[in-house]
Amino acid sequence: MSEEELVLSLRHREKIAVEALYDMYSASLFGVISRIINDTAIAEDVLQETFVKIWHSFSSYSTEKGRLFTWMVNIARNLAIDKTRSKDFKNQNKNQDIENNVTFIDEQRNTVYKPELMGVKNLVQTLKPEQRLIIELVYFKGYTHVEAAEELGIPLGTIKTRLRMAIQELRKHFN
Amino acid sequence: MEDLKAYIETGILELYVLGDVTPAEKLQVEELASKHPAIKAELAEIERSMELYAGENAIEPSEYLRSRVLGSLLTNFGDDNDFPTQTHTERESVVVTRPYKEKEINFYKYAFAACLVLLLASAAALYNLYNRLNDTNTRLNAMQLQNQHFSTTVSAKDSELNLLRDTSFKLIRLKGTEKSSESVMTVAFSPSKQKVVIDMEGLKLPANDQAHQYQLWALVAGKPVDLGVFDATADSSGFKNMKAIASADAFAVTLEPRGGSESPTLSQMVVMGKY
Repeated sequence: MSEEELVLSLRHREKIAVEALYDMYSASLFGVISRIINDTAIAEDVLQETFVKIWHSFSSYSTEKGRLFTWMVNIARNLAIDKTRSKDFKNQNKNQDIENNVTFIDEQRNTVYKPELMGVKNLVQTLKPEQRLIIELVYFKGYTHVEAAEELGIPLGTIKTRLRMAIQELRKHFN
Repeated sequence: MEDLKAYIETGILELYVLGDVTPAEKLQVEELASKHPAIKAELAEIERSMELYAGENAIEPSEYLRSRVLGSLLTNFGDDNDFPTQTHTERESVVVTRPYKEKEINFYKYAFAACLVLLLASAAALYNLYNRLNDTNTRLNAMQLQNQHFSTTVSAKDSELNLLRDTSFKLIRLKGTEKSSESVMTVAFSPSKQKVVIDMEGLKLPANDQAHQYQLWALVAGKPVDLGVFDATADSSGFKNMKAIASADAFAVTLEPRGGSESPTLSQMVVMGKY
């Protein structure tokens, strides 16, 4: 099923479309959620909430504004970040002081590199370490570029350029 | 065209795809994308590569999650109005920002303290009230006893009064003999009702001992008739009914062995009076 067909049948709220949506995107979305939330059970909850929200607010998605996955991954990332800031989640993490949120997010989201999560493929060699790090922070950890700049001690402009270069590398890689 | 290139070079489009732009920047990107195919194409490329990158980093969720998620979506399938399920509302409530959360905790803290204070105050008040209730109950019991006592006294006095009002009764004053000149007592006699009553309260006789009792006699045609025995004590009160008799010429009291005698011991006569 192509993306256009999928969007169309989701608009018509067809059962088969929901199943196709899950089969096509659950792994990619779960990959992003799992990097923000280490606890598998909570990550699974967030994945479920993500699909509920996608299904519920599907009318607000428009193909004009971009790809379906871009829209969905932003929903998933926001829900996951919301979850890390939620009461339940913090209680589980012994009520750490989160005034300094960047350090906290570090601990919460475990920036330690996990090869089994990162998909050790030739892709890893494609990106330079600093490019990989910025993608990891912004795309997978849910940092804003401002937070990433603070965290890495790098000017905002450099962060933006570095992010752009990293994505350029990915584009080359996928072409 | 140079401007567009510079705009693309800033990296704003990448941030747009990552959802990391302000609402104003978002509007600007969307407006430019609708006007300039170059920007639209650039965005599409960025999106595509990010999606592929996510695909490379995909993690397959557990098998059971598929039916769980689809189940939660399809439960309300076809009924969109019902769609905001509990999962949804739960999520909304779970996402609380930090200041609000602290306020809430503070609120519960104070509410709990207030509840405790209220509980203690109520307990104290209850204890106080309980003591007062006990006190009142005791007093009420005493009052009831007193009341009972009064009502019996009143009814006794009532019957005494009625007796005195009864015109068929005649009061006979028995006076002390030489043997006991200080003694005096009153007998009320109603021939029509055949009743003889003695006034125990106005009785003035020397107190009898355990072995003896006073005995009342009626003289009928010169013969003594037993009318019963009584004791003279300091605290005797009220009227005492004696044995019935239809007529009598005179009444007399003698001191006899306890239980009374067949015939009066004249030497022990203490009072006497004629009808």
